[in-house]
Amino acid sequence: MSGLRKIAAFFWRDFAIARAYRGALVLETIEALFGVATFFYLSRFVDSPDLQRMLPAGSNYFAFALVGFAFFDYLSVAISAFDSSIQEARQNRTLEALLVTQTPLSVIVAGSAAYPFAALALRTCVYLGWGALFFGFAPRHADWIGALAILAASILAFAGLGILAAAYQILFKRGNPAKWVVLGVSGLVGGMMYPVAVLPGPLRAVARLIPVTYSLEGMRASLLEGAGWQELWRPIGALLIFAVVLIPFSFVVFGWALRRTKVTGTLTHI
Amino acid sequence: MSEPAIVVEDLQKYFPPAVSGWRAFLHPIAKATQCALAGISFTVQRGEAAAIVGHNGAGKSTLLRILATLILPTRGQALLGGCDVEQDGAGARAKLGYHTGGDEGFYTRLTGRQNLEFFASMNNLAGGEVAGRITAIAERLGIVKDLDRQVRTLSTGMTHRLGLARALLHGPEVLLLDEPTRSLDPLGAAEFRRLLKEDLVGKRGTTLLFASHTLGEVEEIADRVIVLDHGELVANDPPAWLMAKAGETSLEGAILRITRPKVSAKALP
Repeated sequence: MSGLRKIAAFFWRDFAIARAYRGALVLETIEALFGVATFFYLSRFVDSPDLQRMLPAGSNYFAFALVGFAFFDYLSVAISAFDSSIQEARQNRTLEALLVTQTPLSVIVAGSAAYPFAALALRTCVYLGWGALFFGFAPRHADWIGALAILAASILAFAGLGILAAAYQILFKRGNPAKWVVLGVSGLVGGMMYPVAVLPGPLRAVARLIPVTYSLEGMRASLLEGAGWQELWRPIGALLIFAVVLIPFSFVVFGWALRRTKVTGTLTHI
Repeated sequence: MSEPAIVVEDLQKYFPPAVSGWRAFLHPIAKATQCALAGISFTVQRGEAAAIVGHNGAGKSTLLRILATLILPTRGQALLGGCDVEQDGAGARAKLGYHTGGDEGFYTRLTGRQNLEFFASMNNLAGGEVAGRITAIAERLGIVKDLDRQVRTLSTGMTHRLGLARALLHGPEVLLLDEPTRSLDPLGAAEFRRLLKEDLVGKRGTTLLFASHTLGEVEEIADRVIVLDHGELVANDPPAWLMAKAGETSLEGAILRITRPKVSAKALP
């Protein structure tokens, strides 16, 4: 059976489990409304002519912050999907049962992230939908194909970080300082709540070294400015470079971590 | 004579000492010094039922987990169905079913059938074949009418049978069981033993290697008993031979005679 069919089996497993918790899904949808409302009122408070000059043409701070928050949330939870899948399988004792099947751990990790990635994409749409429905978010010029391309390149770039986080989880069981550092730095300099241009020079340089910056720039350009491929190829190219470097490296580290825990006998330890 | 189902040659396993806090941080890769298996060798023929017995910490679960490819040996070799468990783990996994007595590793919000369908796909089974296999195994294990209930609503015995059904789904040549009746009531355990001995080993010719602390169970099921003591193999004989060699009339007496207890009666206050 191909790896893709197995990943689909993981997707339907997680979808069936999520369906068993319908109440949680409704609450999360409502929670997103509160988050969007907070940004709306915050944007009314901080909107100023200076800020307006730094925003994408034709948009306002609310649209800028909403897109930044929605996609930063997507990317940060997406990184966590890999190590969370290992932790959850270990805690509900299914990891051992999975490991004696004919499915390699790399497919188990990738498959376990399939549903969270799809569910998170839906949650991002819910954020944007609430914004459009109640708070005047109007992506009239959006280039949706370009946004999808940015999303796909971002997923590839972040998958490497997620697999590294999973390797840490396998080795050290709890906590993930590297992930927190990546997300903390990304939150500070990636341009989630304010344009990268307002940062001092050294932090602007750091921003160029992390994938979130390119994801948010590309996503805002495609959704708020309707940028075409001529403008989008730079962030897409940067994200693909991150992917090409990080994915093979993360698989090497992951393979080493897996072998190490099989030597120490701690693979299924909580 | 055909190739044995399990071949274990000079198998050794050493674990690093368990450390935590600053020590773990300063020495993340500690040297493996704690002996769990001290170079054991044995074979299990196809269609044979062999039991592993010994005190807690004797190395029974470590041995089964090495054979199940969950941990790697330090030295030596183990072949399962002709596949080296270290070099060809995927090949070995295609030939083995593994189940532990305290097995609760299911997605409790899914039904038994949904769980089995998922694990079938992880074992490369697909399409109409899966439904037929699940029904056939569920009938043999007496869980057909409970298959469409969420696992969280099943009794311990039913969950246990579901675990065995999962281990058997892909028709493994070798079944590895770690304390298979640990969480079952006496009647359930007796029924389970009958199923293992008569159906799986007797009729289907499945090779069975199981660890157990219940010596009555060992006598009832096993053709041969492998006795481990502090990681060393101290006996590998049919139950009757083992008793005769030790000059004892019970299996318990024979095993106590040839093993070193963890706690001496003299040491007790």
